[in-house]
Amino acid sequence: MTARGPVSRRWAATAASAVLTIGVIIWAAAPLSSASGGARLALVVAAVAGGFSLFQVVLARIRPAESGLESFLERQGLRIIAAVKAVPWPELMIIAVLTLEALHPSRPWHTAVLGVAVLADLLSLHLAETGANATTLRRQAPLLAAGIGLCALAVGAAAIPSLPTGTVPSVIRVVAVAAAVIACGLAIPAWRGHD
Amino acid sequence: MAEPGRLPAGFRQVSVRWGLSAHARRLLTLALTSLIIAVVTGRPAFAGIAAPAVLLMAAWPRIRPDKVSVRTALLDSILVENGESAIRAEVRGNDSFDVSLMLEPSKDIEAGPAVGVLAGAPPKQVYLPFTPTRWGRRLVGTLAVSLSDRYWLTAGQADVHLPTLDCRPMPAQMNSSVVLSRLPSRLGEHPARATGEGGEFAGVREFVPGDRQRRINWPATTRHGTLHLSTFSAERTQNVVVIADATTDVGEHGSSTLDLVLRGASGAVRHYLARRDRVGVIIYAGRLSWIGPGLGQRHFQRLIDLLASSPVGWERAAELTRLPRAALPPGALVLVFSPLLDHRLVEAVRDLRERGFSVVVVDVLNAEPAHDGSRISGLTARVWRLEQQAIRYSLKQLGVPVVHWDGVSSLDEPLAPYSRRVLVVRR
Repeated sequence: MTARGPVSRRWAATAASAVLTIGVIIWAAAPLSSASGGARLALVVAAVAGGFSLFQVVLARIRPAESGLESFLERQGLRIIAAVKAVPWPELMIIAVLTLEALHPSRPWHTAVLGVAVLADLLSLHLAETGANATTLRRQAPLLAAGIGLCALAVGAAAIPSLPTGTVPSVIRVVAVAAAVIACGLAIPAWRGHD
Repeated sequence: MAEPGRLPAGFRQVSVRWGLSAHARRLLTLALTSLIIAVVTGRPAFAGIAAPAVLLMAAWPRIRPDKVSVRTALLDSILVENGESAIRAEVRGNDSFDVSLMLEPSKDIEAGPAVGVLAGAPPKQVYLPFTPTRWGRRLVGTLAVSLSDRYWLTAGQADVHLPTLDCRPMPAQMNSSVVLSRLPSRLGEHPARATGEGGEFAGVREFVPGDRQRRINWPATTRHGTLHLSTFSAERTQNVVVIADATTDVGEHGSSTLDLVLRGASGAVRHYLARRDRVGVIIYAGRLSWIGPGLGQRHFQRLIDLLASSPVGWERAAELTRLPRAALPPGALVLVFSPLLDHRLVEAVRDLRERGFSVVVVDVLNAEPAHDGSRISGLTARVWRLEQQAIRYSLKQLGVPVVHWDGVSSLDEPLAPYSRRVLVVRR
């Protein structure tokens, strides 16, 4: 078996990021009919920003050759590329996606899944930009696990008041407490290792 | 061994500029947006989304190095076009930060991918490949040293300026020589018309007292009944002066007229010096630069250095139609590499011919002025073509052969009519 080079790693990470970006936007938008006003605008902004953030990653790898003798159209093209590179598209996409989710009625577990997917998208976007090996994620794993655990705890807490009494709510409460314990257990070694 | 606290030889310290990484900005956006939405809408699930981002941001590194030590070296400081080389680099003092090294090349240099060194790994040298695509002396570029912490939150950037690279033109392929019929009386490798001590058989003549007995041709002696001996051609060297016309540079970048002039001139210099001829170079540009004919490897390096440092362009005030005698030994073969676009060079070639030099012009013009397809533009292009044909025709009428070289094939092809037999010198 041969190790993948930085170029193929970047393309793999870009592909993963593309899949996650599309998935995040669809997940936040669905179902569009139940969303309140402004959801369509937020969806359009999210789609445009998501597309441009991927385009930005691809553009970063292309170095336009500037000889100083470009035609008018080529100069305009270079200006557009520079403008696309300057806008923080991923940040815009995050804001648009979260707004889109907020425009839907409250659905805690749906929101939690969206949060995890956005986080995964950001990590893959970073891997695509830097060409770093995915194994470097291992060093972040304890903190990520702790964060996701806290997220699960918060969502669980959000769900508790609306839960009916019975076996299922009890199990969910137990899972929420377990998630909090696991989160703290993973976070403490990570903090110690960091200092 | 280096003393403790002192840097090993070759290392220099460069300042690191620290800032928030793009990844940290996105995490911050995620955390803040989620928390604002959670507060505004009163939905705790959004606060949960902020948790992983907040935890990661809380791991912000408190201690960051202000400076790192970097050692760089070019594997080759002299290269030919499209020759591959690399930069050897080593970074120390990065503490617990990952390092990524990337070459940001200057114009006409292609760089390979970035190379990463993980934090905590033992110090090692890394190699960053690059390829110069065009001749000339230029800085290789800048080595961008990027540092990032284990959570990718902070980004440190340091730039190291790399040294100058000498890239020489790729010599054109040339295996056959244009040799003059009259050669100066210097020992060389070309068989001359005159008889001498060479190795090539020239004829048989009657023995006269004083001739060497070992040269006696016994079959001829037996036939004639008197002593006869073999004669041999003298072996002479040739003076070659290569004129590179750097007054104009037109055509596609990388295969422009100046590129072809320098590649052709380098090929001719290399070939004739390998044949033990005495070769000189004249750069015909805004000012004249020349090196007189000489021999040997060191002379070859001097000639190629002169070619690689050719200035491009022409000063309007310059009127150099007469080339200096010092650069042109009598009886030299003059090879001119030129697009023949500057009338002053054409006049200089005419002057050389009138002074009795044997001149061969290698025309490297492979471009035409762009025209938009209109009638006026078409007519202008036609007039331009006719003018070019007239220049070449007038030179041929003076006895100056003009051959066209496309820059792709070997120089042997265009020069074949003049390299198959000796070029008769006409004064």
